[in-house]
Amino acid sequence: MAPGRWLAVKKVFLEAALVAVIGALFAFAANRVSPRGLALTRNYFPADINRPVPAATGAGSPRDVANTNPPASSPAQLLAVRLKEQGLQWVDGHQAAQLFHDPRFKQGSIAFIDARDEPHYQEGHIPGACEFDPYRPEKYFATVLPVCQAAEQIVLYCNGGDCDDSASAAITLRDVGIANQKLFIYTGGITEWTTNGLPVEIGGRNSGNLRSTNK
Amino acid sequence: MNTSQSSWSRTAADTFAVLARWLLGAVFLYMGLNKTLHPVEFLKLVRQYDLVQSSLLLNTIAAALPWFEIFCGLLLLAGVAVRGTALMLILMLVPFTVLVFRRALAIQSALAIPFCAVKFDCGCGTGEVFICRKLLENFLFIVFSGWLLAGYGRKLCLRHTLMSCAAKTSLTEEGGSNGSI
Repeated sequence: MAPGRWLAVKKVFLEAALVAVIGALFAFAANRVSPRGLALTRNYFPADINRPVPAATGAGSPRDVANTNPPASSPAQLLAVRLKEQGLQWVDGHQAAQLFHDPRFKQGSIAFIDARDEPHYQEGHIPGACEFDPYRPEKYFATVLPVCQAAEQIVLYCNGGDCDDSASAAITLRDVGIANQKLFIYTGGITEWTTNGLPVEIGGRNSGNLRSTNK
Repeated sequence: MNTSQSSWSRTAADTFAVLARWLLGAVFLYMGLNKTLHPVEFLKLVRQYDLVQSSLLLNTIAAALPWFEIFCGLLLLAGVAVRGTALMLILMLVPFTVLVFRRALAIQSALAIPFCAVKFDCGCGTGEVFICRKLLENFLFIVFSGWLLAGYGRKLCLRHTLMSCAAKTSLTEEGGSNGSI
């Protein structure tokens, strides 16, 4: 390579290195000042970040198909195994509906916690459920903790299927002192709830804006 | 006649390269902004690739990458350090494309569907996309970046090269502003 050309190549690589360094500094500074920025040291996925994910727990999830765990017979069984490993209990759709219709729900002895993000919560949640995004827990502790402390049974849900946000929310609540035996994951989530034709509430908690979801 | 034709084609190529630079800049700016608006969603998507086991590394990637894309997009739009930025884009786009391709293969084998029917959110900042379209897009972006890296698209730049004096000398030695490295 001619010396002039070599020099040009070197300059381009130096320039790229400079772009990388300044860009990285910019990126970390911007993430730091952004109100939506991520906390670098937080474990956002306490449910399973350091473990292999069970095989085929959700249709088409590549994360699930890429692993080499021995296959299990159904996604529900795999989910149950995963929750059990984390010391969490779960309820199915029938039990969730029973708890919802239980008079103790109205009295506050049973609580429902929606572990999805705000837009999804506003679009429709189980009537009376509290919003608790496990990725922004500090925003919701003030409203959710008193409800959880008063309740004897807490049902947490997200979308269902391979969604593990409800498990993350349960672990987050457990970490701040909510008794583990109170926590139950509704594995079917809002998807199963609406599929079963149960009502959802639009907007904020106890907005009274109910919508029936026909089967 | 030949000189005028050559000059015309050079001008056309350079104009097209400027448009490609703006397009690349706008795309990276758009994709980066989309991710910074929904950082947790992006974090979840990055996690699905199973690249790292450490939550610190995962968070670092998900926190820095979108802003870095915005930074590169702004540099390209403004025409600052174009060749260095283009090289960085290639260094990002090639491994991203390989990862997306591998993930699409996994989905294809799991669902037993034609490869081009695979559709998923690759975390690229544009939502769910068909894999063949995504691969084609990335290929074009790599070609455009390579073109900029070769020295085209110098018009309407604030500061095309940061190390201007030495770089200009070396390019002049090679016989023109559109010389390739």
